[in-house]
Amino acid sequence: MEMIPGRQFFLARLDEVARWAQSSSVWPLTMGLACCAIEMMSVQAPQYDIARLGSEVFRASPRQADLMIVSGRVSRKMAPIIKRLYDQMADPKWVISMGACASSGGVFDNYAIVQGVDTVIPVDVYVPGCPPTPDGLLYAVNLIQQQIRAGGSGGLAVRA
Amino acid sequence: MVAAGSRCAHDAVKITSGRNERTNLPSSQTPLPGSCAVDPTSVRPALDDAEVERVERGDLRARLIALRQAGASMLLDLGAVDYLERVPRFDVVYHLLFLPVSGAKIADVACPRRMRILVGISADDAMLPSVVDLWPNADWAEREVFDLFGIRFEGHPNLTRIQMPADWEGHPLRKDYPVRGFVGEATPRPSFASKSNVPAGTPPSGRVAEALREQVSRATEKSS
Amino acid sequence: MTTRVTADHLPPLPDDVSYDVIDRGPNTMTLSIGPQHPSTHGVLQVVVEISGEIVTKAEMEIGYLHTGIEKTAENLFWTQAATVIERMDYLAPVSNALCYLLAVEKLLGVTEKIPERAQHVRVLLVELTRIASHCVWLGTHGIDLGAITAFWYAFDIREKILDLMELSGGARMHPNYLRIGGLASDLPDGFLEKLDAFLASTPERLRDLRVLLQNNPIWRDRTIDVGILSAEDALAWGITGPSLRACGIAYDVRRAYPYSGYERYEFDVPVRAEGDAYARFLVRLDEMDESLRIVRQIRRDLQPGPIVIADPKIVPPPKETIAISMEALIHHFKIMSEGFRVPPGDVYQAVESPRGELGYYIVSNGDNRPYRVRTRPPSLYNLQVLKKIALGNLISDMVVTIGSLDPVFGEVDR
Repeated sequence: MEMIPGRQFFLARLDEVARWAQSSSVWPLTMGLACCAIEMMSVQAPQYDIARLGSEVFRASPRQADLMIVSGRVSRKMAPIIKRLYDQMADPKWVISMGACASSGGVFDNYAIVQGVDTVIPVDVYVPGCPPTPDGLLYAVNLIQQQIRAGGSGGLAVRA
Repeated sequence: MVAAGSRCAHDAVKITSGRNERTNLPSSQTPLPGSCAVDPTSVRPALDDAEVERVERGDLRARLIALRQAGASMLLDLGAVDYLERVPRFDVVYHLLFLPVSGAKIADVACPRRMRILVGISADDAMLPSVVDLWPNADWAEREVFDLFGIRFEGHPNLTRIQMPADWEGHPLRKDYPVRGFVGEATPRPSFASKSNVPAGTPPSGRVAEALREQVSRATEKSS
Repeated sequence: MTTRVTADHLPPLPDDVSYDVIDRGPNTMTLSIGPQHPSTHGVLQVVVEISGEIVTKAEMEIGYLHTGIEKTAENLFWTQAATVIERMDYLAPVSNALCYLLAVEKLLGVTEKIPERAQHVRVLLVELTRIASHCVWLGTHGIDLGAITAFWYAFDIREKILDLMELSGGARMHPNYLRIGGLASDLPDGFLEKLDAFLASTPERLRDLRVLLQNNPIWRDRTIDVGILSAEDALAWGITGPSLRACGIAYDVRRAYPYSGYERYEFDVPVRAEGDAYARFLVRLDEMDESLRIVRQIRRDLQPGPIVIADPKIVPPPKETIAISMEALIHHFKIMSEGFRVPPGDVYQAVESPRGELGYYIVSNGDNRPYRVRTRPPSLYNLQVLKKIALGNLISDMVVTIGSLDPVFGEVDR
């Protein structure tokens, strides 16, 4: 993106502008499952404030969300619902697997918990912690923004 | 219940590990010798946490109705325990609390009476009368005992699974159900290597070691 | 304010009799709310049949967060099991830990030997957790009703408490700081100063939070006479905690069966008689003030001293002694590699968690692991009554009721 000197407009490629816009307004889905969901609420709270990164609102409807933050342990009963919600989200969409339980089953290596939500949906960023501090989640959103800006196969649909 | 498209080669891996195949314990935690195989509820030390009474299945409903009329206004909890090597195998435990309806002040309610009723039932005839008509909150509690232990409750309006998905087979909290689930049903283990763009076996890039060396040299420069 | 459905196709009744609202009219719609929904406070699915906006039937489907915690705990050492048990009621983790530890200490027979400083600090953290849990409750309850400012205020108070938790145990939410026999380590330097700063600033913030909502006409309109629960129903359905105390029954486990030194502290137990959502709201607000009162008393009474019982078979000896004492090394090794055995028996221990009576029925067969940990989850029973009290009311009142009952699904589903 370059500014034309002396004039009041920029010259840029369309996908750069699109990616810049996408990365600056990533709206997460309220996919709060367990303890990590409470830390996700803390991220929305004034002290950590995810709104300054562009996630001004958390949408309840998957149709209106870009980012699914799977926060909490995914039980075998819940897994098909997560898959369905992921399918309902419109492209381009990203997924953060927040916490140890969502990333790998966490402390619960048993019959009831899916050992990693990436066995159900593709994940872009994994956040370790039990639960991760809100700083960790903010860093994960930063990484998502970097991934968006780095681009995929070019164009508006950044995720393959 | 995991989406079909996500199955991977790990299905073929036997999930059990450890010496005790039946209970599928991790190998570092097999039971210590001398753990009591007899009934722990009969060995209990004198703990005054409740009045404990053991009743037979046939007398259970009559006893609970009598206690309800004597003031057991709240069924605190209904749970089960699986004593695998004991006969009868299961214990169903009813926790009752005698709270007065008129207890509007702390002094009125001070130290209400607690009771614990234990019923032993065997695995091949795992059936108990339901108490939903006495205490409506037994509804979900009995469903949970059915779901996780396989004990049926006669007279329950809707005895279906509550915690596990409706088509689950087996009763997970029984002692002969492995903690990780059965091999065919267990969710596949995540394979991070196949998800990352760094193929397995790639030697370290050396960047971490280099960064550390740099940090150390900067620190020694500062101090020297 | 409840609205009654008129059933025009049914014969007229005399004035003092009314039809029960539960009718399957020809115009009901079945709506599935959840399990992913912002207002269900977790993964709850409520399948409602509504006639217009009136709920004629409400069936709940739970189990979406079933984690098998009880089964997992059967395969971990007694100390390790406390970590997974802490994750049941994730809004008040220290309550779960305290209840489990008290039960195990009862089985071990060391309840009398827990040092006073350890008891003080345990109660301190539990009461701070109570305030933090009620803050989350109020914040999310406010969001359900559109009062989003309450969320910001409440979570700001919660952040200060989580800072204190992090200072004590190392983690904000699941510090695993309470251990069998006392505490994991002593309070670090700076904790008491931070606690003083918290005690100085929080009463005003709680007052701000109260002023936002207590006399707010919209809040009052939406919560007064909504979700009414009578005392008889509350007892029959096993309700405990603030929801029971808002129906007029003054049952608080801290007063009925004092544990961990609660008989030493002076605190009131707020009780209301109306049984509606507004009463539950007021009871919890008052409880936050009472918890602060207890914390102040602990701060006044806290003395230096041992923080753990001196039994090397149960509690690992201090790390410094391992290098110089052979016995200490052996005890440490045995506890870390094999755990310790708890004499056989069964026990039920109850505490007052922010949701009600949290109980653990623990069975030991003499092994180094729990044989059975059965939880008495207050949220399971508190939530179940929704089947009854949602009927005949507006669907938006159902949302208010779920919020005012304060369920936590980690506990409901375990």
